[in-house]
Amino acid sequence: MTSIKPLQLTLAIMKPHVVSSPFSLLDIRRTILVNGFYVVRSKRQTIKLEQAEQFYGEHKTKFFYNRLITFMTSGPSEAYILAREDAITVWRQLMGPTKVFKCQLSNPDSIRAKHGLTDTRNATHGSDSDESVRKEVSIMVPEFCFDHWKLTEEPMFRNGRVQFDENLFIHSVHES
Amino acid sequence: MSSKLSSKLLKLLKKTSCALCSKRYVGVNVKPENVDPFMAPYSESPKDQQRLYVWGMAEHGALGDLKIRSRERQIQFIYRPVRLRITPFQIKDLACGYGFTVYAVDSNQYKLFGCGLNTDSQIGFHDPRKGYPLGLILATVPIQLPLKESNTKIKAVAAGRAHTLVLTNTDGVYALGSNCYGQCGRKIIENEDFSKLRNANNITLDDDISKIICGQDHSLFITKTGKVYSCGWGADGQTGLGHYNNESQPTIVGGDIKGEKIVKVVSSADCVLALNDQGEVFGWGNSEYGQLLLDGDKYQVNTPRKLPLNKGIGKIADIGATGSACIALNDEGVVFVWGFGILGKGPEMNQSREPTPIPPILFGRNQYNPETQVKSVYSSVFHMAAITSEGNLYTWGKNKWGQLGLGHTKDQYFPLQVSVGAAVKRVSCGVDHMVALCTPYQ
Repeated sequence: MTSIKPLQLTLAIMKPHVVSSPFSLLDIRRTILVNGFYVVRSKRQTIKLEQAEQFYGEHKTKFFYNRLITFMTSGPSEAYILAREDAITVWRQLMGPTKVFKCQLSNPDSIRAKHGLTDTRNATHGSDSDESVRKEVSIMVPEFCFDHWKLTEEPMFRNGRVQFDENLFIHSVHES
Repeated sequence: MSSKLSSKLLKLLKKTSCALCSKRYVGVNVKPENVDPFMAPYSESPKDQQRLYVWGMAEHGALGDLKIRSRERQIQFIYRPVRLRITPFQIKDLACGYGFTVYAVDSNQYKLFGCGLNTDSQIGFHDPRKGYPLGLILATVPIQLPLKESNTKIKAVAAGRAHTLVLTNTDGVYALGSNCYGQCGRKIIENEDFSKLRNANNITLDDDISKIICGQDHSLFITKTGKVYSCGWGADGQTGLGHYNNESQPTIVGGDIKGEKIVKVVSSADCVLALNDQGEVFGWGNSEYGQLLLDGDKYQVNTPRKLPLNKGIGKIADIGATGSACIALNDEGVVFVWGFGILGKGPEMNQSREPTPIPPILFGRNQYNPETQVKSVYSSVFHMAAITSEGNLYTWGKNKWGQLGLGHTKDQYFPLQVSVGAAVKRVSCGVDHMVALCTPYQ
């Protein structure tokens, strides 16, 4: 797939209950690929408490802050940096609204309606703007450099000169 | 002409027996070897025979060997009840977790069976290839427990999102699986890898435990004297211990249930309901959708409080709690629902701030069956179920993976009878599958 417009990056996180359920994880991965996303980086990690506190700093005053933090740090999760035209809005559309119990009635085909368990165990996370992508990636995948990617890899991804590794779940630039 | 034909027909009729009642016409002597095989009466099933039916999501393997059998057809889910045979022994208890099922069996050799998702060792450690424990078990396999005596019996099982509780008659409770919030009743170890876990944690309390209950990530224990202990995730207050932290040591629950004799506790997600011997209901945990009937915008309750149910509802006989709604059955057999989601009162009504009855006619009470009433109610995270005095099972709610067993995957907005070929005695509702323990119709 080639694209004329520049690719946009977004951060997607598979939450711990999805990573521990192979069926849900594979189904969401399939959804990502079917919808034309490139997986630029893929990283499995158990999020540390400081990372989670920094990541969800904006929700600090909300009643669900404590349960969100304890849930995100409870087990391994996977962070994907996804690339596509309008990646942020497309990924958020695929996920559906935050609250699973409401999402099931309003968007029954979304990822959260299919694989979410409760309002906190809502399967996936997606960034909401370019600024938050930069902030969130720097917390979850600190080794990723935006400028370097833009210069060297983005043109290759845009022309479709990439290959996909199914086991690592990542697209990488053709060697040749 | 017509009289001749009718007399011929009459003769033909007289030689056969009635297909419906299997009674033979008087005066016609039919020898046993001449019985038409199509007209022979059915053989009777033994009265204590059990039948197990399963349905719902099959990808996790929670439906036992049905997934293996259907592999060629690539079946993802089974949306109507299918009979499963796992053991010739009596099944004493069963429980459905998220993607896995456990069975307690009355036998001297293998006492506990399980199948399905095992990424947190919630159904034991199984490594047919040394060093590579299975994360998904598609067949029903025996689970080893470190029992102290060989004649110990398993009384009950309970299953959460990724942990299992097993109640024995001599050793207390064994807890298997994920302990990331302390739900197995032992110290939380940071970054513990549960997929390689070999141990089952033994939990004993000062008092004898009589019932065990699993929420998604917390555990509850009822003792013989009616006290409640809890451990696990408390971020919504679902442990009821007066705080919102993880609790790794089973601790006695106070609040309004202090001094009450609790007979039943239910929790499928993060909202907990408890029933005492007087038919009064208590609740704690998540109340984002008004499950605990609180005034104002209070979403989390960390101390048990009595639910202000109306006088008109009467004594409560059975309770259930989904992730966003609650269900209660009173002693007259009327079912009440409140909360948010598919409540079973049609597609228009998805929220109720106070308990509202589901008409008994939807559960089969009519002028031909005036005695029919609901005997027990069950709940999963997204759906509800009820069993009537005739042993009929009714389900309603979300039906993403066919977990209602109605033969389709459309959401069901009012109770509808599941076509199970036996009298349903009890069911267990998982997040996306269900298991029913039945006896043959007598």
